[in-house]
Amino acid sequence: MGKYVVRRVVAMIPVLLWISVISFGIMHLAPGKPTDAATQFNPRVSLEARERLAHLYGLDQPLHRQYASWLGRIARLDFGRSFLDDRPVMDKIAERLPITLLINVLTLAVVLGIGIPLGVLAAVRPQGWFDRTTTVLVFLGYSIPSFWLALLGMAWFGVALHWLPVSGLHSLDAEWWSWWPRLTDTAWHLILPVGVSAVVSVAGLSRYARSSMIEVLQQDYIRTARAKGLPERRVLFHHGLRNGLLPILTILGLSLPDLIGGSVIAETIFSIPGMGRLFYEAVMARDYPVIMALVTIGAILTLLGNLLADLAYAWADPRIRVGKAS
Amino acid sequence: MTCGQRIVGSVAAASFLLLLGPSWAQEHISPSSGTPVVGDALVTASIGDASRLLPLLATDSASGEITGLVFNGLVKYDAGLRVVGDAAESWTVSDDGLTLTFTLRPNVRWQDGRPLRAQDVRFTYEKLIDPAVHTPYSSSYELVQSVEVVNDRTVRIRYREPFAPAMESWMMGILPEHLLAHEDLNTTRYLRDPIGTGPYRFVRWRTGELIELRANPDYFEHRPWVERYLYRIIPDQATLFLELLTGGVDVAGLTPLQYARQSHTPYMERTYQRFRYPSFGFSYVGYNLHDPRFQDVRVRRAINQAIDKEALVQGILFGLGSVATGPYPKESWAANPDVAPTPYDPQGAKRLLAEAGWADHDGDGWLDRDGAPFRFTLLTNQGNDVRRQTAELIQRQLQRIGMDVRISVVEWSTFVHEFIDQRRFDAVLLGWSLSRDPDLYDIFHSSKTKEGEYNFVGYANPQVDQLLVAGRRTFKQDERQAIYREVHRLLAEDQPYTFLFVPDALPVVDRRFRNVRATPIGISDNLIDWYVPAAEQRYRRLAP
Repeated sequence: MGKYVVRRVVAMIPVLLWISVISFGIMHLAPGKPTDAATQFNPRVSLEARERLAHLYGLDQPLHRQYASWLGRIARLDFGRSFLDDRPVMDKIAERLPITLLINVLTLAVVLGIGIPLGVLAAVRPQGWFDRTTTVLVFLGYSIPSFWLALLGMAWFGVALHWLPVSGLHSLDAEWWSWWPRLTDTAWHLILPVGVSAVVSVAGLSRYARSSMIEVLQQDYIRTARAKGLPERRVLFHHGLRNGLLPILTILGLSLPDLIGGSVIAETIFSIPGMGRLFYEAVMARDYPVIMALVTIGAILTLLGNLLADLAYAWADPRIRVGKAS
Repeated sequence: MTCGQRIVGSVAAASFLLLLGPSWAQEHISPSSGTPVVGDALVTASIGDASRLLPLLATDSASGEITGLVFNGLVKYDAGLRVVGDAAESWTVSDDGLTLTFTLRPNVRWQDGRPLRAQDVRFTYEKLIDPAVHTPYSSSYELVQSVEVVNDRTVRIRYREPFAPAMESWMMGILPEHLLAHEDLNTTRYLRDPIGTGPYRFVRWRTGELIELRANPDYFEHRPWVERYLYRIIPDQATLFLELLTGGVDVAGLTPLQYARQSHTPYMERTYQRFRYPSFGFSYVGYNLHDPRFQDVRVRRAINQAIDKEALVQGILFGLGSVATGPYPKESWAANPDVAPTPYDPQGAKRLLAEAGWADHDGDGWLDRDGAPFRFTLLTNQGNDVRRQTAELIQRQLQRIGMDVRISVVEWSTFVHEFIDQRRFDAVLLGWSLSRDPDLYDIFHSSKTKEGEYNFVGYANPQVDQLLVAGRRTFKQDERQAIYREVHRLLAEDQPYTFLFVPDALPVVDRRFRNVRATPIGISDNLIDWYVPAAEQRYRRLAP
């Protein structure tokens, strides 16, 4: 097992390098450069001043040089400084990551907490009234554009009813409150964003859980369990659920990179300064160091997520346990 | 919200406070009776976060707004667009226009208590021209020969040649030498914790969320009445509007649609005072003057006659704008009052085009000459609905005189690098949002046609060239006025651009604020005089 993990991790390195080369290339193929936003179409900024600025950021060097120096810094775990405000990229990420993580973990918890029971209950009697109702509701949730749902939620709960704040993450002066009101304040602000992003994800997950459960419930061992005279509850949750959740593990593993990647749309509409907006703004401003850092971190997490999913799968399902067969 | 919009929007120099653009007419004037009292908070909003809070490095509009409140320049524009003293009490221009001597006010202090000195001005200049500093503003100071400290309160600036737009360049916020002399300006902590001389001092910055300023009790004019200035980052215009509906923000600029259709509800009427005034920007169609079809001035004049600009203003801006006749809005002293808007006249346009050889010879409904139909592509940038709609209306209007216009909408960076810089366009639909000085050298002088420069239409008129140079070399307002009025007239005659319209800035301000009024430079130039009567103050408990 240990050897397998090491082998997989080592195999990631060339993949990562490739990913970085390709992203670096694509990023530079896009027209425009980081200094444009500050200097372009401003008659008060002369051509010479623009070129000087590009030179200061090393943008006049050949691409392979720029890539080499980026790689050299990364090897020393230095992600460089943003071209936009000259702050260390890691500072910018560290500032945004907790917010996005918090929202995504909460969303994931809500999605799991609602999606799995929905799927399992629907699978008990496929085509029954509960299954049909949830199918309609879930597809409705899946098809509603999240920005529209968000605006609707803000207009209804925020403006019309005054139950929830419209946007933002904190009240204006929350910083100076003691921890308890501050916590409830944040929770208050999070209800809408978490709720809206959960609606969309619940659909997918509950469908996975449903189809997986339906498949499992047709297996021989379930019939055996029922034949033994086990109570239905035990058949469902002990024999059925454990096996039915296997595909969910894969999905969870693969969603690891999603945990740090915020949703641009939700963060923009709710005015939440998370990773999604950081990435979007970096792309729009061609802020190369930030883009590269986020792409690299995303790539590492994707690869790690794959590995974790495989390992979790092996742990949960003896039939595909590695090391023994190979 | 797009990059393109933001870039064009931030074109106006960031060296002075420009909350929502310039101004004139207004629908309401808040009553200013009563005695001002200290207190309350003003919550305003911006679609983008600031990035660096030192004036030299403030390149986006959010950073420009914040540094505009925290720092002072030597001079500023007053409500009538005249240059007046800011940190400088007075100044003189030598007869040859080569030497500017500024005398600082005696009572200007840095927010840490030290007095402002002439040395700080010299230090700011040195940093502006320091090749290691990441500032894009160095070009305005290239003609400066020396900045000399005469004494603590007097600074003498010599130029290699007379340069009238220089006055505007000294609106750049002055930096504190005693704090920054040993700092690397690109990375100093003062970029996120600035100390200036301005009416407000910096308190905190929650990145992407909020910036807070507090009144500077020692401000040299007087302590601002409104105690706190909260700058929320709200990237989405729809969210901003919902925040207005719950009182989450006190000031916001509306879109024409919101202003015309959504701001007349009882709640909005009761809560907000609305202002409306022309911005300094204008939209235009620019022609590639290397294209033989557009080289003929009759063709350009014909298009000018065939575009119904009043219909554009009514249809797209809901009437919240005015027809442009040239690069200067009516409110500018440089505008030529004798240049009248060209009447909409499609028949006249057809006659002009026929003179130029363009007529429907083959009877297919499209103009042609030598067998080739008059077909061209109108190029514009993505992400700006007003622009896209304008293009579509122009397409329809030109169709009526037999011109086949194709519209192409391109992402901003591609638009600039692949099409504008490479001169790969027939005609472009764009906007300029210019600073208050009427100098147009960079846009219309025939020397400014290199790749990346702004006379990308390739306009060359020796008379205009000469006037643009002359306008930079004299400081005398009446001489400059005569020069730029002539430039205005010539541009309207030559039509290198078809000038379309000047959109209005459309801010609303919560009614509890008094003394709010609109001027040609915006609503916020007298921000320190705004106040809220004690009974109406909303944010009473002052956080530590």
